[in-house]
Amino acid sequence: MVETRLSFKYVAKRAAVSIFIIWALLTLLFLLLKAMPGDIADILLNPQLDQESIEALRRRYGLNQPLWKQYLRWVFNYATFDFGYSLNSTDKVVTIIAIRLPRTLVLFGTAFLLQYTVGIIAGIHFGWNRGTKTDKGGFLTGLTLYSVPFFWIGWMLLLVFAHGQFAFDVLPLGHMTTAFQSEFSALNLVTDVMYHLVLPAGSLLIVGWAGAMLVMRTSMQEVVDAPYIETARAKGLPPSVVKYKHGARNALIPVATQAIIGIAFIIDGSVIVETVFSWPGIGALLVSAILERNFPVALAAFFFLGVLVVVMRFLTDVAYTFLDPRIKFGESS
Amino acid sequence: MSAEDDDMSLFTRIKQRHYGLYQSIRRGVGRFADQRVGVLGLLILIGLIVTALAAPFLAPHSLDWRAPEVLDKGGNADLPDDCSTADNPLDCRAQKESSGKTISHPAPPKFGDFTGDPYFAPLGTDHRGSDVLSRLIYGSQTALYIGLAAGLLSSLVGVPLGLISGYYGDTWIDEFIQRVIDLMFGLPFLPLVIVLVAANGITTTNIIIAIVIKSWLNNAIVIRGETLSLKERSYVEAAKVSGASDTRIVFRHIFPNVLPLAFIYLAQDSAIAVLTQANLAFLGLADFTNVSWGTMLNWIQTTGYVYDAWWWLLPPGLMITALAASFYFVGYSLEDVMNPQTSA
Repeated sequence: MVETRLSFKYVAKRAAVSIFIIWALLTLLFLLLKAMPGDIADILLNPQLDQESIEALRRRYGLNQPLWKQYLRWVFNYATFDFGYSLNSTDKVVTIIAIRLPRTLVLFGTAFLLQYTVGIIAGIHFGWNRGTKTDKGGFLTGLTLYSVPFFWIGWMLLLVFAHGQFAFDVLPLGHMTTAFQSEFSALNLVTDVMYHLVLPAGSLLIVGWAGAMLVMRTSMQEVVDAPYIETARAKGLPPSVVKYKHGARNALIPVATQAIIGIAFIIDGSVIVETVFSWPGIGALLVSAILERNFPVALAAFFFLGVLVVVMRFLTDVAYTFLDPRIKFGESS
Repeated sequence: MSAEDDDMSLFTRIKQRHYGLYQSIRRGVGRFADQRVGVLGLLILIGLIVTALAAPFLAPHSLDWRAPEVLDKGGNADLPDDCSTADNPLDCRAQKESSGKTISHPAPPKFGDFTGDPYFAPLGTDHRGSDVLSRLIYGSQTALYIGLAAGLLSSLVGVPLGLISGYYGDTWIDEFIQRVIDLMFGLPFLPLVIVLVAANGITTTNIIIAIVIKSWLNNAIVIRGETLSLKERSYVEAAKVSGASDTRIVFRHIFPNVLPLAFIYLAQDSAIAVLTQANLAFLGLADFTNVSWGTMLNWIQTTGYVYDAWWWLLPPGLMITALAASFYFVGYSLEDVMNPQTSA
């Protein structure tokens, strides 16, 4: 039975902080938009328009109002999920985002679980056997893979597994599903998505597992010589119980802290990997919108990636209460 | 001055005068040398710095060099190598094609020596016929510049803020800096850099600034934590009692003790900056007037040779990995040197 002293006050405080950060994110986006040369009227502008039409356009977008009014409207619109319209289609931005967000979450969630499972298990193993050949080799391999650019490892995987040059033409080149997915049954759709997920998630895993491994390894090295490990051994507990139940569980806390950085790392990777594998998610949307200078979509995509980080951070903070019963929650920290 | 003093070399005298410092540096270097990973990283880094400095001497061709399109000119010896500069480009091209010995770029490695063999390009050519090896060598300049500049700038912002925040811990100054850091942590790194670079213009300076806006955070957090514990030490109290000002205590007494920690994060920030620049270049957000490894990879993508030109695809990726890894190796080994109780 996992005991937790998760207090309402603590959760409320963290939630308040999260909302404050989201508000700050909004303000930053507004400043960024205003700092950019020109405004929406210039982007949509047809050179044949006369001054009157330009004014009408500006009035329509509220650009002739004082800055503070524009700011209030901006915050109100974003808070009510009204992001305006895409500049190169008739779709509302919120519709585009709503279609793409779950797809990003599928890739992100899979990569997150894989990275942390592999990283933590490897970290436990390397840290427990510190100084051995396995430890040193694993450390070197992990750090080297951590330095590989995401898009390049993606190309390497495509070259080997999808391009037929090495007789492993087994995995798809990109996209999330095969064409004509609407004719698929639900089960077929799930298998098809998983089949398309292998290479993108694999790229993220190969590069990112070292992040969790490095922290877990250091943390485990500190635990190895702790007196309570000695006690557990002296009691005659099986070595695997000592290693995982007594050692690893206590060494897990710094990894939860690192998860905050790890989340940001996976989001960076997702942006790149989605572009390489044509995965139709928010990261790829951000990149294409930026390159097309479609700012309503770009800013909304950026906003949602920011919200994703904030939400994950909130969940990590709550997960903390389960991991470390020593931390006092709810009081002023 | 006695004869004995004259006999001592300058080095010996300095050694005696700063004996404590000398010993601690020697111990540090000794421990670092035990870390084979760190030494490996340092060697790669030094190798790349030498490459960058000596690029004009090492590169087999200049950046303007283009491999000839015709291997054997046959009877038309006066045919120019590059038809686009010819008086009649169409005619020139037709003549070349009729000779049957043209070469299309990108072309795989050739080790010719100008006596019958075509040309010398040990890593092949890219789509415009320029030498991949030369571009690789010149690219190390851009990569090192961005890595080191972004790393140093992050330290210059992060370390003083961390020192101030830690030294004035639990005051409004500390509270303010901590809230700013909290807030910035909520922003996704690469998307922020993409938005900033796209909004402010794609130049190398803007890329460095955009990276630094996010990467000073780690430095500040770690330095603050260390300062919080250092300021309770007795030597800080002693300095306070003898009437030293806050500025003097922070920069004379605390700063030298957080310096090794600052170096660890300098190395890590540099690695992150190198990788971020590569990622930006892949997305097309790089200054294309500079030769860089990321740009080379962007070009192989936009010209569609990713799966057909291994000589062009592999080297830039390996170089980016080598440079980022060397920074990480040095950084993480320094960390082990600093915590001898956790090192193997």
